[in-house]
Amino acid sequence: MDASQAIQHEHKKNWYDRTYKLQILLPLAVLVFCVIYLGQFYVNNGDIIYKDVSITGGTTITVFKTVDIAALRQSLSPEFPDIEVRALSDFRTGEQRGFFVETSANVDLVKAALEKQLGLVLTQDNSSIEFTGSALSSSFYQQLRLAVIIAFVLMAVVVFIIFRTLVPSLAVILAAFADIVMTIVVVDIYNIQLSTAGIVALLMLIGYSVDTDILLTSRVLRGREGTVNQRIFGAFKTGIMMTLTAIAAVAVSYILTSSYSETLRQMFTILLIGLGFDIFNTWITNASLIKWYAEAKKL
Amino acid sequence: MKISWRIWLLILVLILSLLAIRPSFESGVVIKSVERTSPLFEQGLRAGEIIKEINGEKINNLEDYARVINSTFTTEDEVRFEVATKKNQYIALLNTTPDMVIQNVPKTRLKTGLDIQGGARALVKPEQNITDAQLQDLIEVSNNRFNVFGISDVKIRGVSDLSGNKFMLVEVAGATPTDLKDLIAKQGKFEARVGNATVFVGGNQDITSVCRNDATCAGVTGCFPTQGGYLCNFAFTLYLSEEAAQRHADITKNVDIDFTTGGQYLKENLTLVLDEINVDTLLISKDLKGKVTTQISIQGSGTGATQQDAFNDAKASMHKLQTVLITGSLPYKLEIVKLDTISPLLGAQFVYILFLAGGLAILAVGIIILVRYRKIKESFAVLFTSFSEIVIILGVAALIGWNLDLPSIAGILATIGTGVDQQIVILDEARRGRDVSLKEKMKRAIFIVVSAYATSIVSLLPLYWAGAGLFKGFAITTIIGITAGVLISRPAFADIIKKIEGQ
Repeated sequence: MDASQAIQHEHKKNWYDRTYKLQILLPLAVLVFCVIYLGQFYVNNGDIIYKDVSITGGTTITVFKTVDIAALRQSLSPEFPDIEVRALSDFRTGEQRGFFVETSANVDLVKAALEKQLGLVLTQDNSSIEFTGSALSSSFYQQLRLAVIIAFVLMAVVVFIIFRTLVPSLAVILAAFADIVMTIVVVDIYNIQLSTAGIVALLMLIGYSVDTDILLTSRVLRGREGTVNQRIFGAFKTGIMMTLTAIAAVAVSYILTSSYSETLRQMFTILLIGLGFDIFNTWITNASLIKWYAEAKKL
Repeated sequence: MKISWRIWLLILVLILSLLAIRPSFESGVVIKSVERTSPLFEQGLRAGEIIKEINGEKINNLEDYARVINSTFTTEDEVRFEVATKKNQYIALLNTTPDMVIQNVPKTRLKTGLDIQGGARALVKPEQNITDAQLQDLIEVSNNRFNVFGISDVKIRGVSDLSGNKFMLVEVAGATPTDLKDLIAKQGKFEARVGNATVFVGGNQDITSVCRNDATCAGVTGCFPTQGGYLCNFAFTLYLSEEAAQRHADITKNVDIDFTTGGQYLKENLTLVLDEINVDTLLISKDLKGKVTTQISIQGSGTGATQQDAFNDAKASMHKLQTVLITGSLPYKLEIVKLDTISPLLGAQFVYILFLAGGLAILAVGIIILVRYRKIKESFAVLFTSFSEIVIILGVAALIGWNLDLPSIAGILATIGTGVDQQIVILDEARRGRDVSLKEKMKRAIFIVVSAYATSIVSLLPLYWAGAGLFKGFAITTIIGITAGVLISRPAFADIIKKIEGQ
């Protein structure tokens, strides 16, 4: 490090030292907003997410035939008011390869109506049909919700075991919690109907998001060399690489697979949103808290 | 350069994984199933054998097979059909294409799930709460039913979920029969009644055998034009047990002869009821009154817009009726709570895309590492480690016979992301300040890696049980991936980095 860099670094440090307590207000404000938003959302919609047919029960039919999507939607919607019609396209050429419809209606009704509209018999050679009964899907939903909660609790327990100190552990857990809550809010804002796979992706986010938090916390608490700021900055350099590579891997997977599978598309979308918030929550939320703790404890 | 045992271990595991996946370069086509009625079956030809030659012509793939079959059966004459498999030689006289389902020899031992290769999956719930033993009974009867019906590539198993619900999961690979729904969920409670008395029911208690696939005692007997279409009748013979035959005698003994129709028949009819729906009503000839007869002709009909449709419908109805007569009814009323039929159309292309996604994701990560660290060797080490983690996941999946479905694939792709995360931790720890020994740094890196591992594992565990195990794949591949990572590939990676940095 030459002299000018050292001065810059010093300057940066001073700025960070002055503002880190204030910085915690930003994620806190966002988190409060998100919690209020979800509360409001719950009041309006009866749940904190929009659910797709894999959760409410219903039918998804994928047909490998090119059609006029808008016209099809228009002709089907009188009979099935909640119907969603979307095109499937090839990611290389952008050409339409087919389409899928989603509705909470019973499979036999939808199939018959669709066959009439298209003027062809739907078989396994030209279509895929998925049907889930409403009792089963709501029980799946409850179980997955429970799985997310159990996963979160188990993660929290492990974090406590690893660090054995209250405040740093709580900081890690808070950051993971904020990741998930903020991701759900974005999913809601974009009107994404969550599927069971989407909930699995949220669960996965728990594991993904604590990685960087653990790195940060263990560098600050267990490292002995350098100042707290240097340790945080060192962890930041490593952690941001971790998140960037993860985002790159997920983004590539998203681009390639999204036109083939709605399931993978939603999973990777949620991971991308969550990883974005992970940067925010690790390096602002968690970093400020752990610095505060380290300064107070004079580590 | 000395290679540490950790690196050796990684190499060893990689080789074992490749062996487990076992890419196959064998030519030929593999038999997925043979109809029991086929002469080739009688000769001993069974599913699983690999066909190498037919009538002296070499068969390398499905196209060869189709070409030879098409050129062999051009007329309806009987031809000599010689099949050379890897194991044996079979010769039969056939007049139509052999009743076999054929597939290219799989390139690897990796199996893809139904949601990728196509097929049908049904989750069936009994209408009442049943015990594990009862569930096993149900599975046995269902399995039998599928066998008798002639669907071989079916897997039925019991699953339960977090709330203690029990289901039967039926998975049929590849093409699925159109009447799958009936086959799975129709209870198939068959009763033959005279008046209110039950003469016999389906199943081997009352029925000793049912004539099938024999034109002398089973078949479509005739077709007639009706209003707006055609109607075809079918008839087949079934043989009753002594007990049921005696019951028939006892019941008909008390039924009077109906003289209004010329005295040919009895006043009461024999009504065939399937799942509380009348299938057919048969007149009982006066000769049968009070007689112990073990042989009964069952009749029914099918309809359709054209004669061919009606014929096919009659044949299908007969087949279904025969199936339930042989296997008896399912012990419980069932409800299909989930039914997916997935087209095999996209399968091959999709698998290619998934491999491409995996490869490009690793490559993208490699490039970012290269840009950040500007070191070729380290970047290659990262690429190699990520790649080996995927190979190990696939190897273990092949070893335990896991079907790679969409959740599993998502898990593999996600592992690339997390795996690299931990390599970066190792890389950065190694390159940090010079005042701590390399060994100490690695120890710290491993601490972080193991901690992150522990949190990931516990957060994935609940998924194993949720949703009747349909999301298990995700948990399985991810857990294999990160466990192999922590135990094998990342320690090896740490050693490789030590070597590179220590130079």
